[in-house]
Amino acid sequence: MLNNQESVISVRNLTQRYGKGRIIYSDLSFEVPKGRILGLLGKNGTGKTTTINILMGYLRPQSGECRIFGESITEMRPETRARIALLIEGHVQYAFMTIEQIEKFYSKFYPKWKREAYYELMKKLKVSPNQRISTMSCGQRSQVALGLILAQNADLLVLDDFSLGLDPGYRRLFIDYLREFAKAEDKTVFMTSHIIQDLERLIDDCIILDYGKILTQMPVDRLLADFGMYRFHTDGDIALPEDAKIINPGKIRNEVELYSFDGIDYVRHYLDSNGVMYSDLERAPMSLEDAFIGLTGKY
Amino acid sequence: MYSSIIFKEWLKTRRVFFIALAVALLVAVYVILRTNSLINEHGIVSLWLSMLLKDVSYVDTLTYIPLAVGLALGIAQMVPEVAQKRLKLTLHLPFPQLRLVAMMLATGLLELLVIYLLQAGVILIYDATIFHSELVGRVFLTMLPWYLAGFIGYLFVTSVCLEGTWYMRILLGLVGVAVLLVMFLQPTTMAAYNYMIVTIVVFIALITIFSFGSIARFKEGHQD
Repeated sequence: MLNNQESVISVRNLTQRYGKGRIIYSDLSFEVPKGRILGLLGKNGTGKTTTINILMGYLRPQSGECRIFGESITEMRPETRARIALLIEGHVQYAFMTIEQIEKFYSKFYPKWKREAYYELMKKLKVSPNQRISTMSCGQRSQVALGLILAQNADLLVLDDFSLGLDPGYRRLFIDYLREFAKAEDKTVFMTSHIIQDLERLIDDCIILDYGKILTQMPVDRLLADFGMYRFHTDGDIALPEDAKIINPGKIRNEVELYSFDGIDYVRHYLDSNGVMYSDLERAPMSLEDAFIGLTGKY
Repeated sequence: MYSSIIFKEWLKTRRVFFIALAVALLVAVYVILRTNSLINEHGIVSLWLSMLLKDVSYVDTLTYIPLAVGLALGIAQMVPEVAQKRLKLTLHLPFPQLRLVAMMLATGLLELLVIYLLQAGVILIYDATIFHSELVGRVFLTMLPWYLAGFIGYLFVTSVCLEGTWYMRILLGLVGVAVLLVMFLQPTTMAAYNYMIVTIVVFIALITIFSFGSIARFKEGHQD
């Protein structure tokens, strides 16, 4: 757990496979604390959407236990579902409905429905209330989906790859609205995205998934403070022996890049103790995307 | 919430509903005009005799219409629901999931019932003006299996659409085709299915389970 706050999502020893074949992950455990925005990051095929499908009850895990608001996801009551807003990959909504119809439809299900939150966003889109969702662009559909989520006023927001198909303007609009809403209303958000740089502006905490396991789970600011990207110059061929604390070293021509949680002194010690000839060792400025690449590797 | 669910189903099906209703009523009018023309040509007694002695049906034009309506309505209702896995949205609604699926099916079945009742009503009211009540009853019993086949077709097509795997879709589809073939073994013989009407009604009640099974498998993660 990231801190001592109450957990909204609790996952314990989750194991899942593709059918009867390859393990997606085994014994996966994590918690999402109340009031935090947590991003689940991973390369394609590491199980991000699978995790959301399990949490939302669309996939029975092979083993493990998932709880949302303390309730097992296998027996989730409608009242608990009302506290969770779900954004499906690709901003899928009922495309046969119009702007007005979809608001009317959902408003009957959610006791804390905020009609004005939805229509405030729709005004910005400059679309007619009678416009059918199927005739809208991907960006406009994303705003409809976001407006519905804001109007639902749920305690937990689960967003699966919100950036899919959006141009930078709509991505920025989505992020700014979502962050402002989540922070002002003390909402918990659990999300995935394949565009890591978007999440840097949005998330408080991250879980970085690799094939089969969690590589790290921590607040983003701590990750960016503790995890470093180090660069140095070297002449000729060098061998960089494996070391548990030196992560994903890579060399292009005479420039070497490696990552570590253990600071520049440890990197210097590692290079010296292995007889590596180097110069200009420095800790390079790093974004969340750099940290993600550093942990998961480029391949 | 109930009204919202019905509203959603109506939005998906209303266009097909009105087209199907128009087609069904046009066919009913055609059947009436055809019967009228036969009466003018051969006389009413000849018509009565051929119905009584030769089991000839004069409503055979509408044999496959209820089935076509059932299939069209089922597709119109369920394809938007499963396209892009939109079913996830529906199952996430804060409403008991089994009741939700039951309401979706009930809405579709009710729309079918309205179309069938109006079509059969037009034909039977006309028949009542020219035939003895016993013959009107036989016309009704001749048409009834076609309407029941329409309900069966609707329920099979909804279960196939809601199914998440191609294997089960093909299996359900094949079972549906086999059942419908049985329903149309003697399509134009008057009141040919009298002896098994109750069995067919019970069967219809049973095959609603298939749609619930498809939903249960979807929730287990059986999705291609």
